[in-house]
Amino acid sequence: MSSQALKRWAFVHKWTSLVCTVFLLMLCVTGLPLVFREELADLLSDDPPYAVLPANTPMANLDVMVRTARERYPGQSINFVFVDDDEPQVSVGILPSPTADPGLMHRMKFDARTGEVLKDVAPMGQRSPDFLEVMLHLHRDLFIDLPGELFLGAMGLLFVAATVSGMVLYAPFARKAGFGGVRQQRGRRTRWLDLHNLLGVTTLAWTLVVGATGVMNELAQPLFLLWQRTDVQAMLQPYRGQPAPRVDELSSVQAAFRTVQQALPGMVATSVVFPGSRFGTPYHYLVWTKGASPLTSRLFSPVLVDARTGKLTAVVQMPWYLRALEVSRPLHFGDYGGMPLKVIWALLDLVTIVVLGSGLYLWLSRRRSPIEARLAELQAAE
Amino acid sequence: MSALPRIWTWPLVLALLTMIGLLSALLGEGGVWWALSWLALAAPLLVIAVCLLKVGQSS
Repeated sequence: MSSQALKRWAFVHKWTSLVCTVFLLMLCVTGLPLVFREELADLLSDDPPYAVLPANTPMANLDVMVRTARERYPGQSINFVFVDDDEPQVSVGILPSPTADPGLMHRMKFDARTGEVLKDVAPMGQRSPDFLEVMLHLHRDLFIDLPGELFLGAMGLLFVAATVSGMVLYAPFARKAGFGGVRQQRGRRTRWLDLHNLLGVTTLAWTLVVGATGVMNELAQPLFLLWQRTDVQAMLQPYRGQPAPRVDELSSVQAAFRTVQQALPGMVATSVVFPGSRFGTPYHYLVWTKGASPLTSRLFSPVLVDARTGKLTAVVQMPWYLRALEVSRPLHFGDYGGMPLKVIWALLDLVTIVVLGSGLYLWLSRRRSPIEARLAELQAAE
Repeated sequence: MSALPRIWTWPLVLALLTMIGLLSALLGEGGVWWALSWLALAAPLLVIAVCLLKVGQSS
């Protein structure tokens, strides 16, 4: 590669890294506990235990749980019912009005078999967030929702550019030390440069995948909005002009759930979004379903059930960009291969922290001998 | 060995193993696919450990 081209890559590597490194260090540190969030959530949870019942105890009636929630918050609006397939719990989300700020949402947790209320979780705005929520918000949106998501997504893009440019620069810088060599006798700076190269290049593929899928995850809100504005609007065309069902007109949510389970025997129904919610439609129960295999359990398909008649209206095909988003989730979280995979994820995260830190050190220490000067040195020596 | 293969062979092998590791747990149904995933994804960590041990011995 010409020295001119290499200089350009060095420029890209320096500036993309400089802009994103502080945020990436924060993302790596907050990401570490998030790798183990299921385990930590169990550990930190003060929720009352589930009733001890035989494994084949059938699920209690969702309509009863919804009625309990309505009685506790009269005049408010049921937003969703979530049926966990992992633990015997059902959560019901309640908002003051269907389109109120999601930060005002109450969540009532029920034992799925007895229908008893286990816990009533206050809205985010009325309590201090727990440890995992703080980590998640810092990691995902810096506590400022969409602007934070887009900003961190942009930092992720810079990180991907820094990784690619770092890969290009690896060759001229590693030629002397060879792969894996860490020269000991050439001073601290050379030692850290060799270490930066070794750790960076060995974990390159993982870094690129986790970086790119992280960017993809930050685009979730715009992508869902795009889908709602296009495909969902088209689907609702036949209903245009009709009045939305009143609360007393709603058909049974239990029946809607059952209808979907019977219509799609290979799928698992996981939640029901109530009519009027900003994440649903004005006229339907939107039932989210997923597959049963490791991959398809990450792919969700919404099913619309007419909220007045209880009849199945449509099984919705998700567009490619939402499928891409769904596949990018496990590849970012590392939560799809048991505890050993999580441990590997955490170790690779720690390696990335060292790569970022050593890169920062190399920049700080080379302001006296900048990267361009060192590149010229290398080329003069050849 | 000339310079390029000398410095790029291992990184390419590790990148390939990483991709195999990432996909085998995602597409396979648990069991042997998970084990393959752990082994393949542990390879970069193992190579780092071996390189650092070598450095520690030579200094």
